[in-house]
Amino acid sequence: MSRQRVVNGKNTRGGLKRFTISMQNKLVVLFAIVLLAFVGLGVRLFLINRDNGQTYSMQVLSQQAYENQTIPFKRGRILDCKGTVLADSQLVYNVIVDSKQILQKDVYLEPTLDALESLGVNRNRIKEYITNHASSQYYIALKNLSYQDRKAYLEKVAAGIAKEKEDKVPAAQRVYDNIKGIWFESGYQRFYPHGDLACDVLGFSGSGNVGTGGLEEYYNDTLNGVVGRKYGYLDEGLNMEQTMIEAKDGNNLVLTLDANIQSIVQKSLNQFNAAFQNQYREGLGANNAACIVMDCNSGEVLAMAGTPFFDLNHPSDLAALWGMPKLDQNDEPQDGYLTYTDLLTMTEEDKPRYLNALWRNFCISDYYEPGSTAKPFTVAMGLDTGTVSDSDEYYCGGYKMIDGFKIQCHTREGDGWLTTGEAVEYSCNVALMEMVEKIGKENFTKFQNVYNFGLKTGIDLADEARTDQFVSDATMTNSMLATNSFGQNFDATMIQMAAGFCSLINGGNYYEPHVVKKITSPSGMTLKTIEPRVLKKTVSESTSAHIRDYTVMVVEGHNGTGITARPAGYRIGGKTGTAETLPRGNDEYVVSFIGYAPAEDPQIVCYAVVDRANIEEQDNPMYATAIFKNVMEEVLPYMGIYMTEPVTDKERERLDKKGLEVTYTGDESPDKWDWADDDEDMY
Amino acid sequence: MDYSLLFIVLFLLSFGLVMLYSTSSYEAALEYGDSAYFLKRQLVFTLFGLVLMTGVSFIPYTFWKRVSVLAYLVSVGLIVLVIPFGMEVNGAKRWIRIPGLPMQLQPAEVAKIGVIIFSAMIIEKLGRRSLATIKGFIFPMIPAVIVAVMIWQITDNLSSAIIVVAIVFGMLFVACPDYGKFLGIVVTVLVVGAFIVWYTVNSADTNSLDFRGERILAWLDPQAYAGGKGYQTIQALYAIGSGGVFGKGLGQSMQKLGFIPEAQNDMIFSIICEELGLFGAISIMLMFVLLIWRFMMIANSADDFYGAMLVVGVISHIAVQVILNIAVVTNTIPNTGVTLPFISYGGSSVFFLLSEIGIVLSVARGMRRDELALME
Repeated sequence: MSRQRVVNGKNTRGGLKRFTISMQNKLVVLFAIVLLAFVGLGVRLFLINRDNGQTYSMQVLSQQAYENQTIPFKRGRILDCKGTVLADSQLVYNVIVDSKQILQKDVYLEPTLDALESLGVNRNRIKEYITNHASSQYYIALKNLSYQDRKAYLEKVAAGIAKEKEDKVPAAQRVYDNIKGIWFESGYQRFYPHGDLACDVLGFSGSGNVGTGGLEEYYNDTLNGVVGRKYGYLDEGLNMEQTMIEAKDGNNLVLTLDANIQSIVQKSLNQFNAAFQNQYREGLGANNAACIVMDCNSGEVLAMAGTPFFDLNHPSDLAALWGMPKLDQNDEPQDGYLTYTDLLTMTEEDKPRYLNALWRNFCISDYYEPGSTAKPFTVAMGLDTGTVSDSDEYYCGGYKMIDGFKIQCHTREGDGWLTTGEAVEYSCNVALMEMVEKIGKENFTKFQNVYNFGLKTGIDLADEARTDQFVSDATMTNSMLATNSFGQNFDATMIQMAAGFCSLINGGNYYEPHVVKKITSPSGMTLKTIEPRVLKKTVSESTSAHIRDYTVMVVEGHNGTGITARPAGYRIGGKTGTAETLPRGNDEYVVSFIGYAPAEDPQIVCYAVVDRANIEEQDNPMYATAIFKNVMEEVLPYMGIYMTEPVTDKERERLDKKGLEVTYTGDESPDKWDWADDDEDMY
Repeated sequence: MDYSLLFIVLFLLSFGLVMLYSTSSYEAALEYGDSAYFLKRQLVFTLFGLVLMTGVSFIPYTFWKRVSVLAYLVSVGLIVLVIPFGMEVNGAKRWIRIPGLPMQLQPAEVAKIGVIIFSAMIIEKLGRRSLATIKGFIFPMIPAVIVAVMIWQITDNLSSAIIVVAIVFGMLFVACPDYGKFLGIVVTVLVVGAFIVWYTVNSADTNSLDFRGERILAWLDPQAYAGGKGYQTIQALYAIGSGGVFGKGLGQSMQKLGFIPEAQNDMIFSIICEELGLFGAISIMLMFVLLIWRFMMIANSADDFYGAMLVVGVISHIAVQVILNIAVVTNTIPNTGVTLPFISYGGSSVFFLLSEIGIVLSVARGMRRDELALME
């Protein structure tokens, strides 16, 4: 160490002005005291590390609250067979408020409240929250802010900050720069672009990615992905390591459903509803009006709908409940229908009950007595077992006595002598009872099982019903057998009837009905294709050919009950059904029509059901045949199936009104179907 | 020029800037959009401070004796100016704005140097005989206590008031020949302190405590007050405890990420402990010991009593402030805002500390020839 000696003129030496040896010693003592204090503090540092080092290290790490975050996945989309998006998930944001940060400086509060208000947050409510929860750092102030709104907000703020910097606004007067404690948390919101289209089939998915009803519920796991996670962990050296696992998006469903056919069906049902609502009493056109369209050669469901419809984006909107039958304690329909007053005064306990009724898919969840649409099934089992032949003749005198009960036919006079085919055409109960006597209980119960009545079809939708009411042949009474032959005293669902009917006319192949054609990855790659699956052989090809003939007679025969179902320009087959509901004698009926087209080469099966039409006399299958006809007249041309029959003037007029083209190119014989022109236009 | 002193000071300053950047960059980036915001400001203060220090070191220290009364009056005047022109920061009115400059002046920092200059003069005037009496102790204490009370009452800054009194107390300890009264005073202060603590703890339920009372409770049990008054303390302890022997490495502190608010001010030592560990913390303490040892050498070989007294004043100032700061950070005493000399962020502090170093350097210039001979 070098020292410089500087001669200082003002140097004063000795006497009082001298820094004495004793003072120097005391300075050394002072230094020693300071040193001691330092040693003490050094020891203190050491002790803190020794005694609390481990605990405090953990505390420091545990305070890093952001270390465990979930990253949302995108739920898979649902597309129809042509690629139309029926359900999608949109990126949305939750607005999170950090009170602690906002309250750090007084100048932050007002600009931040302004910003929150511009995002759509209630200013007074959030102000109250922030002041009352000063230490809160996570509060969801707003949910489901759209991507566009967030982007516009961020751009506005960024531009504002840049301008304030440029204009050199003093920090306290800045508006945008003093917005603090607002951040965004991303998530996905389910969105249904077509509102109520295929509402019962799709179901809906709300928060938490839990599907309710339909495909959303049945394929919940397929549609859902895996949440990602951002988390920290400690390595051996107690160092914080950060890892992020990306979210895995859910898979998409591609449906057999065709959005165009579906909308034709829903339009027809809406037309029916519009024509019949408030007719006999205040309320909907029917308790239920439903329709299924299927590809009869694959079991693919092309359309499925039942009134009333509801908007999938707002499934809990009570307005959709108007006109629905009131429910009793067991959620069964009872007298009376919901009025707007009822909706306004509905209790919290009732709301879920009625909403569940609204969301129910009538086509698969409700069962009823199918009525005469069951007759082709009975005839087919007779032909297939050889107990009934095509050339048989039956006499109908208007009724048949079974075990002392007098069971009526549809007319008191009776239908006279009928062939097997005519029995179907006339829809004669007595002839069917004669047949089933020959078929016998054993064959009958066996075949009802083969037709899958009362059992689940296995359709890939949530909440399919199973009736399980089948009695074995040993306990079956004669009257039970007799009435079952024409579709009474046993229950079936629409999908059971439709799937079974497909097999009757397609040569006996029972296809498992299904709605999903394939499952694709988020990037669109096919993961799984669901091929048509033949579950069983119900009847032989020759039986099937006879049934096709008989069901064509229903529509084309001069005594056919299904003449009104015939779409202009096409040959079809089908069967009507009329069944009185329980309890009998209320004059309440389920009417239906199940048919297929084209008659020569069946492609599609369409089944329309009207459950208790809103009209005084409900027992007229025309309510169902009209729906069938309206659907078929639009669906067949859409599917590229050309007309094979000449069109009457009246039909031409109707087609013109609907904007439909006449595609018949054969010989001009306009009078051919004049006899079949229905006198009354349903609507 | 005393190069070893200069080297220690420059080392502490450079080290301080590095730690300041490490500590403040996160908050600076958040608050000002510029991670070097605090660093840049401190760098400017430091450079100006060094210029000032160099200038002062060339002024013969006897100059200060002549202007000592003026220095005292200026100190008092600046404190009074806080009343009309004071600027409030974080709820305390301690600063006055310097017109035309983007900085503020803390009169308490001026008062510390003013009191050193003034008290050294008074003690010299008293003479050896008077210093041996009680009067010789009380007389120089009176002006210091007046300034301290003003700092306490006007700028609401108890820690600076304590430091001012402690500076003069240290100077008198060295100047007076006896130990008795100093020991007596220290014992009295400890007893009174213990009583205050006892009183506070026993009246804890009455809810009548001011914020200092709560600080005492938070000191005794920082965990219980972790959400309020004990928050800063407990977070600083977490930082120290998680540092270990060699720390997490420079820049690796987690506690600076918003958990210790304004860590670049009073709590910077805890971040040093977290990043550099016990090793780094004790190294810094050793640097301060070295600095004070160097001061002691200069004082002991000063040309005259006044020069030596000036250095003793600086020793007291820096030693007390370092000890108080580390004691607060380690929760050895209740939390009170004391900055760590040369390292904490603060313009006034570094400015006047470097002026004091300038004075010490000028004292060092006048070291006696025989001292030099002794060294050889």
